[in-house]
This record gives sequence, structure tokens and C-alpha cells, in this order.
Amino acid sequence: MRPVMKIAAVAALGSLALAGCGSKPSSGSSGSSGSAGASGSSSTSSSAASGGASGAAAGAKLKACMVLDTGGVDDRSFNQSSWAGMQAANKTNPNISIKYVPSNSSSDYIPNLTKLAGQNCDPVIAVGGLMESAVKSTAAKYPKTHFAEIDDASQGSNDYGIQFNTAQAAFLAGYAAAGMTKSGTVGTWGGLPISPVTIYMDGFTEGVTYYNTQKHKSVKVLGWNEKTQKGTFSSSFTDQGKGKSITQQMESQGADIVFPVAGGAGLGAGAAAQASNGKLNLIWVDTDGCESAAQYCKYILTSATKNLSQGVQTYLKQASDGTFPTGNYIGTLKNNGVGLAPFHQFASKVPGALKSELAQVKTEIMSGKIKITSPNQPKS
Amino acid sequence: MSDMDVLSPEPDAPIPEEVVQHKVIEARVSRGRQIGTGVALVLIGLITVLVLGRSAHSATSIFDFNASGGGSVPKLHLPAQTACLVLGLLIVLAGIYQLIRGFSPRAMKWIGSVAALFFVLSFLAWAGSGGSTVQVGSLLYQSLFLATPLILGAMSGLLCERSGVINVAIEGEMLAAAFAGAFVGTIAGNLWIGVLGAIIVGGLMGAMLAVFSIKFLVNQVVLGVVLNVFALGLTGFLFDGLMANNQNTMNDPGFFGPISIPVLSDIPVIGGLLFNQNIIVYAMYLIVIVIDVALVRTRWGLRTRAVGEHPKAADTVGINVLRLRYHNVIMGGCVAGLAGAFVTIGSVGSFTKNITSGNGFIALAALIFGRWTPRGAVGAALLFGFATALQTVLSLLQTPVPINSNLLGTLPYLATIFAVAGLVGRVRAPAADGEPYVKG
Repeated sequence: MRPVMKIAAVAALGSLALAGCGSKPSSGSSGSSGSAGASGSSSTSSSAASGGASGAAAGAKLKACMVLDTGGVDDRSFNQSSWAGMQAANKTNPNISIKYVPSNSSSDYIPNLTKLAGQNCDPVIAVGGLMESAVKSTAAKYPKTHFAEIDDASQGSNDYGIQFNTAQAAFLAGYAAAGMTKSGTVGTWGGLPISPVTIYMDGFTEGVTYYNTQKHKSVKVLGWNEKTQKGTFSSSFTDQGKGKSITQQMESQGADIVFPVAGGAGLGAGAAAQASNGKLNLIWVDTDGCESAAQYCKYILTSATKNLSQGVQTYLKQASDGTFPTGNYIGTLKNNGVGLAPFHQFASKVPGALKSELAQVKTEIMSGKIKITSPNQPKS
Repeated sequence: MSDMDVLSPEPDAPIPEEVVQHKVIEARVSRGRQIGTGVALVLIGLITVLVLGRSAHSATSIFDFNASGGGSVPKLHLPAQTACLVLGLLIVLAGIYQLIRGFSPRAMKWIGSVAALFFVLSFLAWAGSGGSTVQVGSLLYQSLFLATPLILGAMSGLLCERSGVINVAIEGEMLAAAFAGAFVGTIAGNLWIGVLGAIIVGGLMGAMLAVFSIKFLVNQVVLGVVLNVFALGLTGFLFDGLMANNQNTMNDPGFFGPISIPVLSDIPVIGGLLFNQNIIVYAMYLIVIVIDVALVRTRWGLRTRAVGEHPKAADTVGINVLRLRYHNVIMGGCVAGLAGAFVTIGSVGSFTKNITSGNGFIALAALIFGRWTPRGAVGAALLFGFATALQTVLSLLQTPVPINSNLLGTLPYLATIFAVAGLVGRVRAPAADGEPYVKG
């Protein structure tokens, strides 16, 4: 074999690996992909506090800074929602000044965190569970600065965890799917078998099972077995074609409602729904699909949402009220951190009885009467 | 398939009496290789009988061959255990014959394919014995769907590499074209213009590859990698700047629906599978057939192969090597552009960052695995598509033993390794592949 072919093979493998890095699993299975050099420079954009003069606003001055994950601030996903929480906090209390730094790749995490901590930012909020070790080491280096990380548990006294028990939202979604299916089969599939993804699949499956026991029905779930933690995955958060293919295969096995948990690849499920001429409908994940994937709104029954901005806002409010909270924030149905989005175009098709049952199930989850057993739930 | 590498004289040219005719002598397979394939067959057969046959539930598996549309055939009921036993034993017998007597290489290709088919069939029977119907029609339909961008990508690579330019940039060409297809298609409000835009952008990417590799003699592999990173960065940047906040006005082109061809689409099984597809898939059939014929039967094909094997010799007989290479590399870019168009407006109808997700590299692998021949590349791409679709089918069926999803993810690669080792044998690239031609 000539050397050039060897180089070719190595280079092709290398670029394959690079492409793999590009589609890294972002927390909460957002569809963002890190494209080298694509998303913004590392310049900071800041929104200055509009003069601390408005003394009416309570609390001390805060310089809140955020390190975004790859994908940019306009990713229609977790970066954008987290930043929206900062903006909302700034709007209600101008004493909180806000600022963000984007990351172009995972190698930016530590420099970004260190830079912000060095600029006297307090708190420094990291977006995404992938920054786990970066936050841990930076927090140890700056013990007086308060850190918070979205989608990861607290790792020290000056590190606050902002987590979401999305299994609760997915439970409701599963119950709604079981109540709406005509074929008696529903499906769910994920991007990668990692806990921010499988927690949704767990909750969805449990919701269907609960419906079955309550109603003595036998609605089948394709694509996930909670007990063995095995199921159907696209191995990609970006490959829409694969998403479409998986969804159509579920359809051929009888599913008429599918819940994709795969960010951008999930959009392929929208294309499958469109191709099915209304036979197949979807439940969206993370954000309200009628806003983030508006073109497929008419196929989206509802969405299991994760309210990142709420989590950030709550944290900043507590901090500006004088005390930085310690431990973890866990977004639940109770504190509105997770939820079921409105039915939008399905509002008239969902029977009133099912709507009231869902409200009932929601109260029972909040009161603890219904216990969700997913092993992927965040522990407080 | 294999005789395509040889520059044979026109078959109908009169052969003078005195010229000694070349007799095709099939080289005897080496003893080691014979034993290797024989042992592999026996092992696969034994796995089928002992592992699959024993762990299968004693129920019958139901196979549904009906894809979307087309005439329907009754479902096939197969007793899972019996199927695994019988098919497995047949594979074992073939292996034993190979060990003792040995098949000729030509026969071995058929035996290998049939054995693979038997193994897949018994595997599906095993997987379906848990009670759910195995949707074979859907499995095949999805295989073709997943293979379409791979086949087009491989054809793009073939055009370049047979004329001596390595194309590692298939991925980048596809990605840029996928963006252009969605963007232009939305702005123009017309999918056809979107396809045109995708082909033009693919061609432009091809032109960049051509200029840098042919004129400036840049290392073609490095250049390809650079073009891929360029496309990933540029489309990501444009997506953020243009599409991210204007989904409806910039990134909502819709996608081509299937067109069913009268009469042909009514053929059971095959009709719904092959002739109820969208326009890009039909274009792909055409491109594959044209390239396959043109490469061996036309002057262009002969010249392309000559330039790819021995550019100096081609030059001495008056072929303009560089012009032909420009021509082919840009044409290859256009074909990759069509592959990119399939990825967005041919299947899902919107662009997202890195939507090609490495399919361009798999296309390149299919080309190499298919020995740089059109038929081989199509076969390899279909195998990749099939393995990916099978992965989903297996995860959806309640198999007697649950299969780990990470393990399932390795299926396409396992299939490749076995197929390359067992059936393809030694692979030879075009001799001048990757070597810039400098006159003088």
C-alpha cells in the first residue's frame, strides 16, 4: 500500500472522528452541534445594568455571567433558554447585570470559566452537564466565587446544581399519548443512551404503563424498555434522515404517536409525520414544539418541556435577595421547572375527560401519590 | 464487476487468426484462504443452529413484505426454530464442502451471498419469534432510503477517483449542497430550483477541489479534510446568521413526495420498494446506470480510466489529462450536490447543522469497499443502509434476548468487516489515484 493511501485512511478516520465530535450530545438532547469556528467569536457581549439608580428594585448588586455551551446563543435550545432566564432576571431586577461568553468547543470551557471568575463575576453559571469537570476544577480554584451548573448536581459548597426532573413531564406526555392513540401502540426513541435522554423515555414509558393499569388497557410502547434500559437510538443528534427512518419504522410496527428525544435529529420525525398524511403524530421534547419546530406544529400533540429559564431566574432571584442557595435546584411540575406544553392545534381533539385526568395525574405526581421510579432522575 | 478494471478491446472487433486468444484462467484460491472461508462458514452456520436456534422462542415468526403501496403479498409464516436449524445446517454443509473440495472463486461469491442471506433470514426469524411481526418491506424500503445519499456520494467519489483525484470532501460537498437546497428551495418557493441550487453549490465545491488539487497540486487528502471543515463551519455560520431565527422564510422548503410509476409500482414487493420513490431516487437510478455503462462502453469512460491509471500514457496519446480531471471532479461535485439535496429537500425538508452527520465518509467507504466500481459501490452502500435499518428493526422487536443498543450500533461496521474480509478480497485503487499530474 502506498503511503498516500495510508495517509488517506488516517485522515478520513480523523475527520470522521472530528465529525463525531461535532455532533456531541448536548445536555437535554438539544440539537445544537459544535461546528468548529462557526458559532461566534469568543468576544463577550454584555448587557449593562441600566444604572443602579432604580432603588425600588430589591437586593444587592450582582454581576451574573454565563458560559454557554457550543451551538451559540440562538440555538433555539438550551443555550437560548438559559440566557433567556438571565435576561428575565435582569428585567425584573436591574441590579443584576448579565453577560455571556459562548464556547466554540469543549476546550473553551475552562478558559471561559476562569476568565469570568477572574473578572469578578459572581455568580458564574455554566450551561450544560458537559462542563461538569471544568466547573469542579474552576470552583476549587475560586472558592469565594459562586458557581452554578445547569443539568448537573452540586459538586461543592460554592457550586449549585440546577437540574430538572423531566421524567415527570414525560410521564404526563406518556399518559396523554396512551389516551390519544388509536392503534394502541406508541413509540419513543432517543439520540444517545445517556441519562438526560433516557430520563424522558423512562417517564414516557411509565406514563403509558400507568394509563394501562388505570384503564385496564394494553397500550404498547415501542423503542424503550425501562427495566433493561435498552431501546432505539439514532446515535446522532443531527442526522434527520435517520430520525425519519426510525420514526417510519415505528409507524410500520403500528405506532401512531411517537416521542423523539433527539434534538435536531428529531426534526426527521416531523418529516415522517408529514409524509404519513396525518396518520402519525408526535410529542415534542425540551421546548414547546409549536414554537421551536413551528413547521410541524399541526402534527405535535403536545410537548414535554424543561423550563431552563425558570431555573436560572429562580437561582438569580435567591442570590440577589441576599443569600446564594446551596445544594441543588430541581425543576419539577410543582415549581414549574418542567411541564406539559399546551395542546395547540390538538386542543379541540383531546377529549375533556383526558384533560381532566391529566390534571389529576399532575396533582398526584406533585403530591407524591404517583411515584416515578426512573433510575435516571436527579437526586437532591 | 471485476472485469471492469481491465482495458479490453472492443468485443466485436475482428480478431486476426494468428493472434493467440487469451484464455481466462481462474486462479486457484490459496489453500489458506479456502480454509479460512470454510471455517468462517461452518462457524456462522453453527452460531445459527446453536445460538439462534436454541434461544428462539418456539413460535412462528411472521414476515410482512409489503412496503408502502404496490401490490400486496401474503405474510410469510416461518417457524423460527426450524428455520434457524435448517438454514444454519445448510450453511454448515457449504462450509464443509468448501473445506474438503473448495468452491471456485466465482461460485464462492454466490455461496457467500446466499449464506449471508440465510443468516440474515434466520436472524430475523429469531428476532421475530418474540411475537411482533417483522416488517421486511419497511426494512428494505428504509435500507434504500438510508442508502440513497450514500450511493450518490459514492458515485461522486467514483467520478473523481477513477480519473485520479482523491475525493475526501464528499461530506463537505454534500453538506454545503444540503444547505443550498433548503435555502434556495425556500427563497424560490420551488423545490426544483432548490435542487438546481444544490447541484450548483456541489459543483462549486468540486471546482474548489479541482483547482487546488490539479492546478496548485495541494495534497488531496489534506485538501479534502480542509474542505469538509470549511463546509461545516460555513453552513453552521450561515445557519446561525440566516436560518436560526427565520425558520419560516429561509428554511422551510418542504420535500419531494413519492411519485409512483404506473404498472411498475404494482409489482408486488419490488414495485412499492423501487418504483414509489421521489424524483431524486429516480435520478440516482439513472446516474448509476449511466456511469456503469459509460465507464466501460464510451470514449469518455476509457479516457477516464486511462487518466486514472496512467496519466502519462494517456497524455502521450493526446488525451488532455488536466481538462478531463477538471471535468470529472466538477461533475462529481454536482453528483454530491444531488446527494446533499436528497438529505434536505429529498427527505426531511429543513436544514440543521451538520445534517449530513458523516454520511459522506460512509459513502467514501462504500466506494473503496466496492472496489471503485459502480456496482460494487451500490452494493456496499445498500449493505450499509440495510445494516442501519436492521439496527432499528432489532431494537423495536422484542427479541428473545435483549440486544444492547451500543452493540447494535456497531452492526454496520461488523457487516463491513465480514463482507470485506470474506467476499471482496484484495482491493486495488486506481493506480494514479491521488497523484497530481505534472507534464514533462
